[in-house]
Amino acid sequence: MTQTLIRPETPVVPPPSPPRRRRRKDPGRYLRLHLPLVLYLLFTLIPFYWMLVFALRPAGATSLVPWPITFEHFDTVWNGVGFGLFFQNSLIIGVGTLVVVTVFALMGGYALARFRFRGQRVFLLALLCTQFIPGAMMLIPLFVIFKSAGLLNSLTGLVIADTAFQLPLALILMSGFVRNVPVELEEAAMVDGCTRLRAFFAVTLPQLKPALVAVGSFAFIGAWNNFLFALMFASKQDKFTLPVGLSYALGEFNTDFGALAAGGVVAAVPVVLVFAVVQRFLVQGLSAGAVKG
Amino acid sequence: MRTRTWAPYALIAPTLVLMAVFLVYPIASVGWFSLRQHTVTQPWKNGFIGFENFRRMLFEDQLFWQSLVFSAKWVAVEVGLQLVLGLVLALIVNETFVGRAVARALVFSPWAVSGVLTTGIWILLYNPSTGIFQQLAQWGIGDPGTSVLGDPATVFPATVVTELWRGVPFFAILLLADLQTIPNDLYEAASVDGAGRWRRFVSVTLPHLRDAIVLSTLLRAVWEFNNVDLIYTLTGGGPANQTTTLPLYVARKAVDSHDFGYGSALTTAGFVILLFFSILYLRLSKFGSRA
Amino acid sequence: MMRRLLVALALVVSACSAGQDGPTTITFWDNNGGPGRTPIYTELIKRFEAANPDVKVEYVGIPSSSVQQKYDTAIAGGATPDVGGVTTSYLAHLVGQDALEPADERVENGALKGKLLPGLLETVRQTAPDGKLYAVPASGNMDVIWYRSDRFEEAKIAEPSTWDDLAKAATQLTKPAENQYGFTIRGGAGSIFQLLAEAYSYSGVEKFYEGGKSTVADPRNAELVRKVAELYKKATPEADVNNNYTQMVAQFTGGTVAMMHHNLGSTADVMKALGPERVSAMPLPKGPSGKRTVVPNPTDGFAVFKGSENREAAWKFVEFLTSAESNGYWNEKVGQIPANTDVRGAEWIQENPAVKMALGVLEDPATVLVPAPVYLPEYSSITKTDTEPLYQKVLLGQMPAQEFLDQLAAKLTTAQQDWEKRK
Repeated sequence: MTQTLIRPETPVVPPPSPPRRRRRKDPGRYLRLHLPLVLYLLFTLIPFYWMLVFALRPAGATSLVPWPITFEHFDTVWNGVGFGLFFQNSLIIGVGTLVVVTVFALMGGYALARFRFRGQRVFLLALLCTQFIPGAMMLIPLFVIFKSAGLLNSLTGLVIADTAFQLPLALILMSGFVRNVPVELEEAAMVDGCTRLRAFFAVTLPQLKPALVAVGSFAFIGAWNNFLFALMFASKQDKFTLPVGLSYALGEFNTDFGALAAGGVVAAVPVVLVFAVVQRFLVQGLSAGAVKG
Repeated sequence: MRTRTWAPYALIAPTLVLMAVFLVYPIASVGWFSLRQHTVTQPWKNGFIGFENFRRMLFEDQLFWQSLVFSAKWVAVEVGLQLVLGLVLALIVNETFVGRAVARALVFSPWAVSGVLTTGIWILLYNPSTGIFQQLAQWGIGDPGTSVLGDPATVFPATVVTELWRGVPFFAILLLADLQTIPNDLYEAASVDGAGRWRRFVSVTLPHLRDAIVLSTLLRAVWEFNNVDLIYTLTGGGPANQTTTLPLYVARKAVDSHDFGYGSALTTAGFVILLFFSILYLRLSKFGSRA
Repeated sequence: MMRRLLVALALVVSACSAGQDGPTTITFWDNNGGPGRTPIYTELIKRFEAANPDVKVEYVGIPSSSVQQKYDTAIAGGATPDVGGVTTSYLAHLVGQDALEPADERVENGALKGKLLPGLLETVRQTAPDGKLYAVPASGNMDVIWYRSDRFEEAKIAEPSTWDDLAKAATQLTKPAENQYGFTIRGGAGSIFQLLAEAYSYSGVEKFYEGGKSTVADPRNAELVRKVAELYKKATPEADVNNNYTQMVAQFTGGTVAMMHHNLGSTADVMKALGPERVSAMPLPKGPSGKRTVVPNPTDGFAVFKGSENREAAWKFVEFLTSAESNGYWNEKVGQIPANTDVRGAEWIQENPAVKMALGVLEDPATVLVPAPVYLPEYSSITKTDTEPLYQKVLLGQMPAQEFLDQLAAKLTTAQQDWEKRK
């Protein structure tokens, strides 16, 4: 599969070639575009299919087609294990983290990209440094901080914990995106009498839509999927999240592949769907036509 | 402009506050514990021991070096493949074709799947009795009972593929978002100059993506270096420590064996290594110099 | 605009979190939360609250793979539950961190006096340096070999009683072309616990320490390790070298292997997939000595934490959980040996062949128990972090069995000597 995919000699370039150059019947296009895409889709989808099969067929069955279909595993995880509530908690934490991280990352990323200030390099390095230590090693001191701040057992606390860990990475990414938006645009707007803030909202922000989607979805997914903090900083059943629920099905004496797969479907499907909706915002900027360097 | 003096500080203030409150102390405490003997189950032995942990690590602990070498191999292979595949994927789904929205949503979807779930799915998929290799064997492809995670020859590629499944979309999304900011007229100008696909890619696309590539590879490298969950659940570091990365070794020492002091020393070593390579990488790539 | 965003996110952040008043609330951590056991506790808590309207129990299910880390973090951070499920495999760690309340007086002066299996009480006491009872035992367990009775019948093989019989049966039942294997070895996480149980069961060595020195490296133990390693790939799947519990069970319930060594705790997993008509349990096979030597499996129990502010209510709950009725209910559902002796006569025990068999072995006067030194603070570090990778080397043929056991024995001996000095 990799051999087919790595074909640097035939890269695909964004298409805005003039219409006269666009030939509908281009056999190379199938080799260049459709073949690798289909192969990659297979690689992506087979594991998902495996999960779906386990989720829909009775325990112990081995057929590749889940027939007869059973929903007992979904009943187990939703009603027996309480995935309904876990789902809700994951959603709140994910959305909360998404909002906070994106806003702060936009602010900080803008500062890094557009200003020269004392301590800039140190700040960038400090951001990186926060990523050098695995979360498990910081668990106990973090726990103590959270306890004294009264943030244990609350979704707010988990939003803050996830934010603290996601933000440095998001900020660095965002600064890269801001840097790619020509500063001349903003300056032109400011010459026209805009304040810097208005220039930002009127000119730069629209250009950053794909960046916001990318950074925001990273933050959301990071929080949605965080296992360690969710388990360690909450000691109440009604504050647990989906990854905690999923790990139930992998324990000693508790191996239940059907439940694991059904829980996986519950955890994955909504994110995939949301992604399907927002991904179209990843395509942006070009049509806006404002970019004239 | 007067605002210049305080504006950037105001903008990074929330981040600074969060870092100061939630990250500085925990990171510092790792450094402090690395100088101590600290085992929660044997409190009577705890105390300050200077650089003893580091001496042990550097001169007596073969597994430290072994895990470090494996970590380097893991990071290089993962980040390299993820970058190349992610770039190709981003370029493909940036084309216009029927069903593009669906294709995008599907190829990006593994990124949305949690670590726990990724390993869960792949354990099912790799399982010699219920997995894909058993299915293939039934169709006459390969041998029945093939265990890619049990065979020392295949455990590494099998783990790499699993992480690729989830990691490639990271690059693809990021690079796709960045591709969108390439002004059209650059391509038009290149086309007028008679540049072919490859030339346009090399002279327009790549330079524009440079900063994004530098950043994403760096962040991803750090992330992959510290990635414990996947390998831990999939192989447990085995067989015979063959797939033990440094952070996995840390987890086994600090979490499973409760030897927090030594685990902290190992973590500190990882920290220093990452710091060194990050600075080197940013210098060599001249990151941000274009701006 | 920016301000509005900030206000909005402040609202998001400040939502949630509120306290409760009313009846006494105690927190209970289930050390093995999940679809299997959570419903059992839900039912028991319902019964308890009906009988004790002034106490509310808050159930928290911890995934078993993370329970030690969760306890460690909670202890270090000073936020422990009132009552927690524990097993003797990590009880020593909790005692070492001075987190638990001794139960001796409560048991001695309460409803449980004389009702708990002495053997299990002893196992729990052994984990603490001061010999106190830091958890009320609730359930005993025993290593068993689950086997596919249908395949044995089909191939006309009798239930093996010695290790050599087992090895022979395993070879007979192996058909690589059909992806069928006779046996499965746990080579990954948790391997050493099981290997030691197999080794002592085979060797007939009656003590774990002889004169302060570990008997692990006894040549008869080494013989067993060699025999297991010989089965690897010949009568077992190749994957076994990295097998943890989950993967091992998947092979057994998926029909790939005919025999799996685990313990009564997997009853639910095994029965749900295969059913009593296709699977039975037998004790670990004996060796040439003919002696029945058994390394006891970790005992499950309930502990009250020192940090509890409602100890009376906490003890009431522990007593309730280990009362004949609840204890019977729990063990019937899980398929393990009830600690409360009043449950002995219960009908379900007669109808559960595995539990009946296990009780038979444990109550047989000829059975010698060889407890593993789970009281050593280093025990899990030695057996897991240090030794599991070495065992994999043995299976892969990169290390001789005797050398492997020598290394393990040396560490266990040093740890034991440290322990004796401190005692």
